[in-house]
This record gives sequence, C-alpha cells and structure tokens, in this order.
Amino acid sequence: MMKIQGKPSLSVMLKASAAAVCALGLLGGMPAAHAADPLQPDPELEAVTLPAPKPSWVFVERGFVVPGNAIYDTDTGKMLGLVEASTLSDLALDPGGKAFYVSESIWTKGWRGTRQDMITVYDANTLKLKTEIAIPGRILIGGRKFNFVIADAGKTAYVYNLDPASSVNMVDLAKGKFVKKIELPGCASLMPVTGVGFSALCSDGSLATVKTAGAKPEITRSAPFFSATNDPIFDNFGYDGVKQQAVFLTYTGQVYTAKLGATPTISEPFSIQAAAGVAPADTKPLDVHWYPGARQGLAYHLGTGHAFVLMHTGEYWTHKESGTEVWELDVAAKKVVRRIPLETPASAIAVTQEASPKLVLSTEGGEGDRSALLILDAKTGEQKFKLERSGGGVLRTLEP
Amino acid sequence: MKTFNPDAMGEKLLRRFAGGTSRRGILARLGLALVAAPVFPVLPVSRASAAKPDRSPEAKTTFARNAQSKDDTKCDYWRYCAIDGSLCSCCGGAVNRCPPGAEHSPVSWVGTCINPDDGRAYLIAYRDCCGKSYCNKCDCDGTDRETQLYVPQLNNDVIWCFGTTSMEYHCSTAVLVGTA
Repeated sequence: MMKIQGKPSLSVMLKASAAAVCALGLLGGMPAAHAADPLQPDPELEAVTLPAPKPSWVFVERGFVVPGNAIYDTDTGKMLGLVEASTLSDLALDPGGKAFYVSESIWTKGWRGTRQDMITVYDANTLKLKTEIAIPGRILIGGRKFNFVIADAGKTAYVYNLDPASSVNMVDLAKGKFVKKIELPGCASLMPVTGVGFSALCSDGSLATVKTAGAKPEITRSAPFFSATNDPIFDNFGYDGVKQQAVFLTYTGQVYTAKLGATPTISEPFSIQAAAGVAPADTKPLDVHWYPGARQGLAYHLGTGHAFVLMHTGEYWTHKESGTEVWELDVAAKKVVRRIPLETPASAIAVTQEASPKLVLSTEGGEGDRSALLILDAKTGEQKFKLERSGGGVLRTLEP
Repeated sequence: MKTFNPDAMGEKLLRRFAGGTSRRGILARLGLALVAAPVFPVLPVSRASAAKPDRSPEAKTTFARNAQSKDDTKCDYWRYCAIDGSLCSCCGGAVNRCPPGAEHSPVSWVGTCINPDDGRAYLIAYRDCCGKSYCNKCDCDGTDRETQLYVPQLNNDVIWCFGTTSMEYHCSTAVLVGTA
C-alpha cells in the first residue's frame, strides 16, 4: 500500500510557529514587548499642505496622455504635489502666490456630453478646489505657454480660443467673471502688456497689440518683421512681464527683442549661430546647421537677460527635434556665453528665476517610456538630479 | 387685359421652383457639393510658389528624400510629411478613413507633400478622427512646412476636431486633395 504524503495541516503549522516564538522569547530573556513601546496607531489623517510657492519650484505638465501638473522642488528633487488638470489644459500661476489657475475643458460624460470650458482655481496652500469661472471656449492644443496668461498683477486672465475662428476670452480673476470675447483674426500667442491689454504674433509677420479697456477693443499691428511661413517665430518665446519685453527666436535662429507697449518696438534681428561663432543657418534643403528646436525650446532668465536655447544639428524643417545642446545666449550682448552638451536630447527647457538659476529639462522618452526630468546648475551645467519617469510637456517656473 | 404684374410672376416662378424641388433635394445637392468640395483643389496653398517646382533631390526636405509610398502604417509614408499624432491606419482605420466608431473632422490642417513615385507635390488634408480616446499607436510627427499657432491651418499640434459631436482626439488621416 502506498502511503500518501500529506501536507502538514494549518493547525500543526500554527502550533509549531507559536512554540518557536515562545522559545525565542525565552532565549532573549525578555519579552519583545518590553524592549520598546509598540507603535502607536496613526492619528486622524490630514492631507499635507504646501508652503508659499518658491522660485525653486517647477510645474511639469505631464503630457498628452497623463493629466495634471506635478510640482517639483529643484532644490531637493522631490515631488511636492499635483495641481489637478484635464489633458490639454493650461496652467497659470497667480503672481500673488495665493492660487493656481487651470484653463481647461471637460465634458459632462467623460469624453462626450456637454462641453464645459472653465478656469479652475486651486488654493496654492491646500491644492483644493476654490472655485470655477465659466468661459465660452478655449483652444485644445498641447505644449503651449502663451495660450493662458495672467495680466494686471493677477487681476485679469486672457484665454486664447480657436473654434476655428481666432479669439481671446478676457476674464476678471478678482471678480471671478468672464468679461468679454475679443476677436483676433490671424494672431495667437499672447503676451500681457501692462496698462494696455496684450500683444500677439500674427500670420502676416506682425505683432498685434490689443487695447482691452474700452467697450470696443482696439487692435493695432506693427509692420511685418518676420515670415510666418518661411521662418516662423517659435510660439514658446521669452517674456519679461516686469521689463515688458519679449525675446523671439525663429526656426533659423534669428533673435528679435520686442519692447512691448501701446506701440511696440522690435529690434533688428541677429543670428544665434553667429553669436556662437558658427555659420548662421538658412532654409535651404541639404544645408546642415545648428538649429534651435524642440517643443519648448527657449527659457529666459529675467535677472540676467540670458536665454537658454535647445539646439540640434540637422536640416531645415526639423524645428520639433529635441536639443542635444543648451546654448546660453546673452541677448543684449548678442553672444553665446556657454554651450552645454546633453547626454540625452531634451524636448523642453525651463529656468528657475533664482539668483543662482537652475535649468530644468525634459528628456525624450522612448516607446512606452516616460521621459526623465533633469535639473542642472545653470552656471556650471552640472547635473543635480535626474528624476526618472517625471518629464512631460510644458515646464513652468515662478516669475516675478 | 394683361398687365405687367411682377407679384404674380414672382409667385408663378416660386411655385414652379417649389414644385420641382424638395427641401431634401436641396439638402442632398448641398451635401454633394460639400462632399465633393475637397476633391477640387479648393485650397491653393503654396500655389504661387509652386509655379516652377524644383523636385530634384537637392530641393527636397529630409522627409521628402526618404519618403516611401508602399507602407502607410510607417511615419515615412509620403503623405505624412506634416502629420502629427497616431496614424489611423494603425488604429483600425485607413490612410484616409477613420477607425470604426470615430468621426471625421470636416476641417483640417494641410500639408504639401511630394509623392516619390511621380515627383509631384500634392495637397494633403490631415483630417482628425474624433469622438474616441487617443489611439496612442504609430505616433508620427512630420514637420515639413509646419508652422506655429498663429498660422493654425499649417500647425499640426492643434486638435482639429471642429464640427464633430465630440472633440476627443483619436487619430489622424492623410486625405489626398489634389496636386499642389
């Protein structure tokens, strides 16, 4: 007769374990409970709150598929929280540091139903919803810094809309109310102009300036100064709200500075390549040059007036290609003062507005692989942190 | 005695017109015109500059020099010179048709792409398929003559699901409109 080898029963195992525990206790001479007080149960849980926003923070839009804006502290490399947002939304920071604004579009039944466009207001301390301001529409697009801008020291917001006619929705943030829709044919990418309204880049190569105060908005245009189809200005440009100045960069690397106002003035351009002592680029096929590019290819440090530009080598019409080098351009001196080679090409760049700034770069992600966030010392190019699976779309830092 | 009566004439004309037409008929004809419209090269983008086309390899962009005409599930397929997004041909649709359940956007951004077989430039309408969540397969980003948001019809980042039931982006097609 064959004996069936059975598994030991549960009760036998328990008894054996209990005996072992007792034996261990005896061997140790003292019961474990006497060595230290047992851990106390966790108190009633409350969510963490944030301190006032710091210039070392960066807000990372998590991309086309994953919603929300992750906040990282570039001093520590730690994620601090997430400003909730739907996909294809835009984030703007209250200059007073009290709120985060999200311009977004959602539908009543997920991806269908009634469309609802709004500015969602989150408390900067708790990241909890404060209020919603309904707006009559906004553009759906990813990767743009200047479709939702805050003006008048935080009192006014401008939201760009394309339906597919081009317009701007003006919102009174202090009163939490939509004010009016301003038709803006042929222009987009908004920069607030203090005491006036806003300026925008236009398809005829001009800069439009819109006076928004009156009952009827007044739109004036500069003389055309660039070609919107042959050598366009990247619509993620540099903007200084305090000095009321914008730094524009074209696909071939021409750099313009614009002094904003009721009647803006635009400088003669210079070549970023010439500023680095290399051959200026052109639009001809087969000519290989250094070109500016990437999705968010320019970061502007207001304190020094230096622009940090993602550059790559290739032919013309490669303007979305990620940068293999960062060129630090002293805009006023028209000189590239540093070139920082990158181990992994970067698709977006931002700079903290600190006295000792840090560069934040989002690297290219491979197939099914989310990209990394790199934090570099802007003065030395030294890498301080590499945060895996933390990269994304638009990167934003606090500006004065 | 017959006098000139414009009112009666107008009435007669209208009655004849009304008798010979129907609202549905007019809608059908209007619909036909709308459907047929993209067949005609109604969007003469870059026509002026295409007056004397130079299709030599030296005049072509990197994309055009390396483009192929055999496999429309690859990013280097010639019509994709200015596409951005998931290829509908990888998502259950075709180069010019939406996957099941998705809706063609009636408007689009455009590109001018060179067919490697005949060397001609064609106007391509990149019509998004909408109303389903992002397909997220075969993501391509052709950037020939692609410009920025202030020229939206030549910008491929905009969600072009205008005039559809839902603006949720699913994938992109590349519809041949005509020679450029």
